[in-house]
Amino acid sequence: MNVLNLDYEKYRLENGLEVILHQNNNHPLVSVNIWYKAGSCNERKGKTGIAHLFEHMMFQGSENVPKEMHFRYIQEAGGSLNGSTSFDRTNYYEKVPSNFLELILWLESDRMCMLLPSLTQEKLNNQVDVVRNERLERYDNQPYGLAWEIIINNLYPKGHPYSWPTIGYLADMNSYSLEDVTDFFNKYYSPSNACLTIAGNFDREKAKELVNKYFSDIESQKTPDKTVIPPVILENNKVIMRKENVQLERLYMAWPTEKAFDTYDSSLDIIGDILSGSKNARLYKSLVYDKEIAQDVSAYQYSGKYAGHFMIIATAKPGVELSLLKEEIFKELEKISTNGVTQKEIFRSKNGIKSSFIFSMQNIESLADQLNFYNFYLGEPNSFNFDLSRYENTTEEMIKECVNKYFNKSHVELQISPINGKAE
Amino acid sequence: MKLDRSKKPSASIELSFMLPEVENFKLDNGLDVIFVKRSHLPILRLNLVVNCGTRTDPIHKKGLANLFTLMIDEGADEYNGLELMDEFDILGTNFDLSCNNDGVYVGLRTLSENADRSIELFSKVVTKPHFDDISFAREKRKVLTRMIQLKDDPEEIASSAFEYIVLGKEDPYSYPIIGYEDDINNISIEDIKSFYKSYFVPNNSALIAVGDISKEELAEKLNRYLGNWKPKALDIESYKSSIKESPGIFLIHKEDSVQSEIRIGHISEKRDEHDYFQRTLLNNILGGQFSSRINLNLREDKGYTYGAFSRFNYFKECAFFYASTSVGIENTGNAVKEIIKELNLVREGVTEKELEFAQLSTIGKYPANFETNQQIAHNLTTKYLYDLPNDYFQTYLERIRDVSIEQVNKTAKDHIHTDKLVILVVGDREKLITQLKGITTDKITELDYLGNEITVV
Repeated sequence: MNVLNLDYEKYRLENGLEVILHQNNNHPLVSVNIWYKAGSCNERKGKTGIAHLFEHMMFQGSENVPKEMHFRYIQEAGGSLNGSTSFDRTNYYEKVPSNFLELILWLESDRMCMLLPSLTQEKLNNQVDVVRNERLERYDNQPYGLAWEIIINNLYPKGHPYSWPTIGYLADMNSYSLEDVTDFFNKYYSPSNACLTIAGNFDREKAKELVNKYFSDIESQKTPDKTVIPPVILENNKVIMRKENVQLERLYMAWPTEKAFDTYDSSLDIIGDILSGSKNARLYKSLVYDKEIAQDVSAYQYSGKYAGHFMIIATAKPGVELSLLKEEIFKELEKISTNGVTQKEIFRSKNGIKSSFIFSMQNIESLADQLNFYNFYLGEPNSFNFDLSRYENTTEEMIKECVNKYFNKSHVELQISPINGKAE
Repeated sequence: MKLDRSKKPSASIELSFMLPEVENFKLDNGLDVIFVKRSHLPILRLNLVVNCGTRTDPIHKKGLANLFTLMIDEGADEYNGLELMDEFDILGTNFDLSCNNDGVYVGLRTLSENADRSIELFSKVVTKPHFDDISFAREKRKVLTRMIQLKDDPEEIASSAFEYIVLGKEDPYSYPIIGYEDDINNISIEDIKSFYKSYFVPNNSALIAVGDISKEELAEKLNRYLGNWKPKALDIESYKSSIKESPGIFLIHKEDSVQSEIRIGHISEKRDEHDYFQRTLLNNILGGQFSSRINLNLREDKGYTYGAFSRFNYFKECAFFYASTSVGIENTGNAVKEIIKELNLVREGVTEKELEFAQLSTIGKYPANFETNQQIAHNLTTKYLYDLPNDYFQTYLERIRDVSIEQVNKTAKDHIHTDKLVILVVGDREKLITQLKGITTDKITELDYLGNEITVV
């Protein structure tokens, strides 16, 4: 499709920094988006969460930018900004009125090359407190909030870089030192380990000049070689029972599957949609709508650079046993395994995915991030049509093959039930 | 040669920004249509706003508007609920429903190539909903189970209970959108049908459309599919305020919480354009964005929290002001004190520099509020709901620019009242009482999770 075919230019500076430029003059806005190829998968035992803590430190000012001023300069220009950390990467992004592009490049380049001189123990202590509260707010104090980390911890083998949560363990947070932060910066925050995308309203030649001005004299360091990632093999089913301060029982099931953009990755997305993506989705219709044994159900594929897994989550209605939910879920999977899915189900999913691709083109910030996403996983930023074609080319046979390949194998099961007995 | 990085770059050129052009017209049945044509992507967004939010819920039937919203897409015209959604899904069209205190909202997001069929289906929901007993019983059970689940979520408990107590427990705006268990059990399918008959009419609604379609084509389709939706005389009780001041320290016990949810605030005056911009800038400085006083103090200085903010929460007929954060339980008392300190401080005035920052950032980010169809539709919905002047968007920037420091400082004195604070904390009782006692009073009122009084400590 034409609207999904983006015109762009990609090149590399001598220091190795990748640059992607995409012009889009619909609005007087420009978005700058940098991906550093470092995430929680680069952490080591005892220092989980350091990649994310580091992301926080990047907003604490740099050599030429006093504390608090990184935010202020961008806000004053009418911009918005943030960052995020995942298993695979850390991104930083800003959206500003297009006449402030240079300001952003100055800020991003200053922290890329001169973050360390401005680091202090005081800043570190403060952000460790903030990150600890982030963890408490988003995970520990949320109902069922620790489910994700329990599952990945049991699903991925010991030492696998996806086996601990990106936010990090509380105990590790207390151990972060300035040396850890410096070390992480020196190892991973080299221009040769990053990709800078600029999308929106700008003059291409002028932008290249500015990128050159601010980034070309930043020296690269060698980034560590990738460690060997152990394969994800689950010998037997694992069942974990847990009591929590919640009202309703919830069942989580997770199967090891495959990494992003691998053979069946898109089939797994479609299976997730066919199981739980709409009112007519199989599990939703059966568990929530017809039998009313679940309050909600969701099913999805999570895939990263090194591995992936498929999750099904269902919350039991009061008085319903989790074993019943499990039975019904396996019944539906069994049906797909023997009879496959209907043409209509696949058609419905594909159309939903196609429209969501087009709707997503409205926001220049998510477009810039998507260009970086494709560049990171596929080496080609303009992969919207390719990505869509993965779904369009998914057949009924592939869905059946995929279900037979992954869902007959061992899985991890987490049952969370109320401490104070069940709600009736 | 190394670049001298010490100098902060300034803006390259002056920018010009064109607001989207808004066209207003009426359908044959009188429905107001607010339309913006945007053709750079082949998509269309529709929002129907109906003036019948939860504030119309009758006494003992709290939760009616929400239950109605869950029911309206459970079958329409020749389709049952599942078939109807299937028709939308086959097109890749997103259909969404929501409700809040002031309205029920029916939304649609479609590719232009499917606009006709999507609008047809959308119109079936609006004009020919089924309201059958079986769906009603199921949706009711879903709501009742949802209520049980809400007991788990400290943020939800804090926000909902705060709204209830800050408005004085008897105002139509004070009740939770989802309602109460007894009330839900008390609602019949006839209540749903009569809600539809009384409120869901074109002369109580507006349709906002943004996207890739011509005005003529849009009008033709809407007239064709919504033509049988007839206006009727409205018999809607006008809002009677029962708002009462109810300052104090309130505590909701949540066993084993590792954090406290904090809400601090008081009732405020409803949105009024003569001081709206002053209040917006005041709050921007106080707690409206990352670099605000409250967030910089509680997060970047003290490290008590992941984030803290404040806002004026405007409904159509009333408003309240509040600050909100969640902190490690051991820092609760200190965090409450720091927030109160900031409220007191801001009453002493803001600096020229702070106001300039607030103005620059608000003005600068204005164009980004008109980037997506959804954002534009949202802005137009706000304009319709609050009945804002026609030139609201055109004059927005100059009205922000025109606010003086004297006005902001007067607004702070007029609109921030530290002697009337409702302080609500959700967390572990045993660890909180000594921290909270004496902050504004020695009396701590313990509430259940809905905000009703259990005991005074």
